[in-house]
Amino acid sequence: MVTDKYKRVSGDAVEYEVFARKTRGEPLHQVGSVVAPDDDLAAAYARATYDEERWIEMTIVRKDHVIALWSPGE
Amino acid sequence: MSISGLVLSIADNKQMLGLRYAEWATRAPSLEADIAAAAMGLDDLGHSRVLYGCLEPLGDDPRGPNRESDPASLSALPYFDEPWSSWAQFVAANAILDTAFTVMIEACVNGNVEVLQHRLRKMLSEERYHFLHGRSWLRSGIEKGPLDEAWRQALEWFGAPDGDTAALHKEGKLAMGPAELKSRLEEQLETKSPPMELSWKGWDVRRRRTKPGAVDAPTFGMLRGLEEKRFAPAAKAQD
Repeated sequence: MVTDKYKRVSGDAVEYEVFARKTRGEPLHQVGSVVAPDDDLAAAYARATYDEERWIEMTIVRKDHVIALWSPGE
Repeated sequence: MSISGLVLSIADNKQMLGLRYAEWATRAPSLEADIAAAAMGLDDLGHSRVLYGCLEPLGDDPRGPNRESDPASLSALPYFDEPWSSWAQFVAANAILDTAFTVMIEACVNGNVEVLQHRLRKMLSEERYHFLHGRSWLRSGIEKGPLDEAWRQALEWFGAPDGDTAALHKEGKLAMGPAELKSRLEEQLETKSPPMELSWKGWDVRRRRTKPGAVDAPTFGMLRGLEEKRFAPAAKAQD
């Protein structure tokens, strides 16, 4: 199988957090993360990986766009 | 070819595409791509079942008794005859062929055949993620060979300029004819097809392909469930 030329993640690949909710009444919550080189592939990966439940909404956010106010231990 | 013949070809191609995607569920370059291959495989196998289910209401079911015995009875593209040996083949199929099938489904949904308008619409939203996956990997760059082959087979599958799909377009059963299908595919992929001369010599209108050949016997047996029948309990004797 010729896959060795294609790396798991390229130098530009970034992590995306995946958020979803099942009902309108609940807030979006984090259901996992994916690693991808662009938004399109991240969307395809998020849908493929986390679509087992009946979400009414799913969104992805680049992890480096999340602004941390404080972290554990701070 | 009637509209049911075309629907059968979309179904056979989606069944084969689903099978070939699934074969890569542990071989893709990343864990995420493995999962995407498995998920897209499941989607396309599901789509093929919906499409087969349209044949009865459409009437004029083109499936003959040889569907259970002859691999050449399938109207799938030569691209699926053999398992893919490179990731580039996967990406070319995912980007070009999967999108070509979606464009044809779009032509069915927007045509005047009621059962297709209703039953195929949901596929378009599910296919959006196949398209994003294929286009993104395509942009990362793959070898020209599989790409050119996928383009050639997609354009042939759309049909000759004055062929059956053009006639179905004229009747309103398809919202697009061969030229519009090609333009739509190029528009979706944001690229032009490579320059090529299509020859309709050897065009098999039933199978929608110019090359002879078919899947091998074990693959055909698996598709038809013939392998599983070996393990089925023996039928009870009638009292």
